[in-house]
Amino acid sequence: MRRRPATATRALATATIATLLLAACTGVDAVSEAEADAGTDAGTDAGGEPETDQVRASDDGPAVGLPDPTDWPAVLAAAEGTTLDLHMWGGSTEINQFVDEVYAPALTELGITLNRVPLADTADAVNAVLGQLESGRTEGGSIDLIWINGENFVTMRQAQALHTGWAEHLPNARLIDFDDPSVAFDAGQPVDGAESPWGSAQFQFVYDAERNEPDELPRSYAELADWVVANPGRFTYPAPPSFHGTRFLKQWLYELSGGHERWLDEDSPEAAEQATRELWELLEELRPYLWRGGETYPTDIADLDRLFANDEVDLSFTQLPAGIGASIDAGVLPATARPYVFDTGTIGDHHYLGIPVNAAEPAAAMVLANLVLEPDLQAAKLDPARGWGDGLAIVPDRLEPEEVGAITEVAQRLGATAVDQAELKQARLPDVAGPLTRILERDWDRFVRQRQPLDP
Amino acid sequence: MSPTARFARTRRFARRDDVRIVAGLAPLLLSVTALFGTAVGLAVLRSLGVGPFTASDDPTLAAYRRLLADPEFLSSVGLTTHVAATSTVLAAVLGTASALVLHRAVRARRSVTALFGLNLPIPHIIGAVAILALLGQSGLISRVATRAGLLEGPAAFPALVFDRWAVGIIVQYVWKELVFIGIVALAMLRSAGDDLDEAARTLGASGWQRLRHVTLPLILPGVLAAAVIAFAFSFGTFEVPLLLGGSYPAVLPVLAHRRFTDVDLAARPEAMAIGVVITVLVVLIVAVGAALARRAVRPDAT
Repeated sequence: MRRRPATATRALATATIATLLLAACTGVDAVSEAEADAGTDAGTDAGGEPETDQVRASDDGPAVGLPDPTDWPAVLAAAEGTTLDLHMWGGSTEINQFVDEVYAPALTELGITLNRVPLADTADAVNAVLGQLESGRTEGGSIDLIWINGENFVTMRQAQALHTGWAEHLPNARLIDFDDPSVAFDAGQPVDGAESPWGSAQFQFVYDAERNEPDELPRSYAELADWVVANPGRFTYPAPPSFHGTRFLKQWLYELSGGHERWLDEDSPEAAEQATRELWELLEELRPYLWRGGETYPTDIADLDRLFANDEVDLSFTQLPAGIGASIDAGVLPATARPYVFDTGTIGDHHYLGIPVNAAEPAAAMVLANLVLEPDLQAAKLDPARGWGDGLAIVPDRLEPEEVGAITEVAQRLGATAVDQAELKQARLPDVAGPLTRILERDWDRFVRQRQPLDP
Repeated sequence: MSPTARFARTRRFARRDDVRIVAGLAPLLLSVTALFGTAVGLAVLRSLGVGPFTASDDPTLAAYRRLLADPEFLSSVGLTTHVAATSTVLAAVLGTASALVLHRAVRARRSVTALFGLNLPIPHIIGAVAILALLGQSGLISRVATRAGLLEGPAAFPALVFDRWAVGIIVQYVWKELVFIGIVALAMLRSAGDDLDEAARTLGASGWQRLRHVTLPLILPGVLAAAVIAFAFSFGTFEVPLLLGGSYPAVLPVLAHRRFTDVDLAARPEAMAIGVVITVLVVLIVAVGAALARRAVRPDAT
């Protein structure tokens, strides 16, 4: 058979090419991961070395170069004619549009040109500022204002790279409840006026009014445990470290450990391990009653929404204070879906605007931070039709009667697809930092997902 | 080139062919090794704990040792092998069978072959979503069955996705790779022509004998090569098991991603080590597969 070698060569060549192509695909991924790695390097390194002299620009109170927000006319005057470089995550069309079509024209009226710089990841802006500071660019920096919260805020605070002590002196700061721990702490770190709230989000449960009456729903985690046993196979939650899964369990831990208060300044990993242990024992008892007998869990909230919409489970979650109207319109949730919160509260947090210490135009930055708190603009942002259903940063109770109309109007239009904004605020619990989140995610993986035995 | 001319080729010509193939592939080989080589090199370094986030720059095998002691990693290797092997065997058997049937039944009709290959351009991720919509507990089949009164509800439908035995993942791979292997087998059948089959028939070979001793040996190298590719692919792919896999255990690529995105940076060397393990295993499998294919072509060469 003389033709065989040719066939073999062809087959081998095909296999080689295909394998190399496959390998190439994997290779590209690895390279981009490596690049992503390199991207975070700078942040971590810089975050770990806040001792650099240049970084010590501001610690307490407004630094040199930061206009005094209590003299607002002077701030406005200083801001006039400037260009404001706002760096923000740019992954949402609705949010980008809102900034370009609502804030930008309002700033133009004040003589400020808004330059929105879209980011793939807020950490990019954090790293840019830290890099500029390290290279000695302590003023005239390229970033005037960053949309920031959570870990990025903690990193910037560690590096003392944000102006502090200005946010509570903005004219519209009167509308903000700074005593609310979910405003005053960001990822467990005191905010100290280093960032000014822009909006909020809060964990809520979602049920289907067609399937369940409101009075038969669980209103606390203790009731949820009984409810799960009474309705086997009808409940599950997204696997941590998905955002919603971790939040769901953290709230459960709050309730089991007697409240969130002790976690605000508890930073020993042992305490977290001890408290989560009780949770893992309880979850092990409940496992047979979960969807699929607790053998597998939805990957994220989209998975859970699908199970809920397909009548496989009876509860889902949402984070949007404006509720689930948009999800219902999109057909993701059934028309009869309704959000609600536990009587024992749910975790809410804020997102903020922060001014880097080397901002070129801090006055213009303050003007925008103040502008976004205007009641009618907060109302527009809450409205899914005009904004993106983002929660309020301001407290309606603090508004003058004539100012509150726009918010009331939006709230009424949201109707049954949103929880009452006052009720939401009432139920809001702060998020905590420290080791709790990490231990919760790590040990859930061990003891719940992998079912490693809990040592006695 | 006419069949006679091809038959007239000597082994020397074939060798010159080899050189030409390698020369022709040089640009591809170069770019692929540059890209792939760098990435693998980085992954190996990171897996040894060299790089950022680590205390020391001395290479260490700690990540590999941790993996070997990690029951999750071991069950993940088992699951990944099960998924890749089961789906490849099923796809190879079904693909070859379909090719034989297609070749005999509709020799002249190219449209049928085109129809057969219809799902080749469909991305795996779309296939995975389709499997979810079809085989999920609230999927199409379950809904129709419930509507027809055969099922009480979603929970009564067998768990075919997110399940312990990765049925959904395997079905998705078979769906796609069956066609891939089938097309290769069909091409081999076409290029082999029917002369040998007819010669064997004239010599009195039965249908089974012709299949066993004439047709299968002819197409085996192609089928094996295609199967090796299918195996290597399903061993290393990420998106399908991500969509259709259960929480525990997860296949190796999903496990690697989980470790890579772990909040604990100490888990990153493990992620890289898993990547290296996948690469080494796939290369080994391809090497063994290629050797097998070569033997299948020259059963006399020992």
